[in-house]
Amino acid sequence: MSSEQNKRRDFLATALAVGATGIVASGATSAQATPAPLGVTGPGRLTLHAIDTFLGVTGAGLQIDLNIQNGNSDQYRLVKTVYTVTGGRTAAPVLIGDEFRTGRYELVLHLDDYFAQRGADLPRPNFLSKVPLRFAVYDANQNFHVPVLFSPWGYSYYRGS
Amino acid sequence: MAGITTHVLDTVNGKPGAGMRIEFSKRVGYGFVLQKTVYTNADGRTDQMILAPGETTIGEYELRFFVEDYFRGKGVQLPDPAFISVVPIRFSVFDPSQHYHVPMLCSPWNCTTYRGS
Repeated sequence: MSSEQNKRRDFLATALAVGATGIVASGATSAQATPAPLGVTGPGRLTLHAIDTFLGVTGAGLQIDLNIQNGNSDQYRLVKTVYTVTGGRTAAPVLIGDEFRTGRYELVLHLDDYFAQRGADLPRPNFLSKVPLRFAVYDANQNFHVPVLFSPWGYSYYRGS
Repeated sequence: MAGITTHVLDTVNGKPGAGMRIEFSKRVGYGFVLQKTVYTNADGRTDQMILAPGETTIGEYELRFFVEDYFRGKGVQLPDPAFISVVPIRFSVFDPSQHYHVPMLCSPWNCTTYRGS
């Protein structure tokens, strides 16, 4: 088992313990961990992997904008724009070192441009165009890997490893 | 049938996602304008269509699914902030005479959507 898996298992055990305490103290639904502070750096990293399930290839040359949420508002601001390379990953981690901070993020996939460049015959406007994937980095000590499987008609993303 | 519908599936419990809040918006200019807030019924669907055939026009729409609240309401212990919280799905209607069914399969750790039927 990797150290990452150990960390996640420890987290789960902690969460269960907190939950058990909460049930005794105040009922199951009100048990919540203290919110993690946002903007904290750590040794983890943010990486992604884009898989094109329409053409059955890794998604290279896909433009992805990384946005971060401003505080608790519903506003996001651009952090950086990255492009996937051969293999569907980015050449370097999306966030690492001082740039990798806890927070609420959004990866915006430019699927309209991606499929237009490949000459896909799609309706206009296509069903999917700029696709936002929202997630939070709640612990900068962990690695956050976000794979996305996409086509012009659907997508799936998850916390990978 | 035309119009817009959705269906929430809870892939943790292997059941329809009942009682999930969904906000439905339409793109106007550079932003999305809230049209209505609905909650899923016992079957994970909404009692009324998200948008009726006669109301559906060409354009971009957004469904915002309150996934974190749903799982916390079931007593699931999540980090704060949770990995998955409010999930926006943005899609376009290109032919109002067609039906747009937009399902959401979710857990606290993943989301899947697609054009269904």
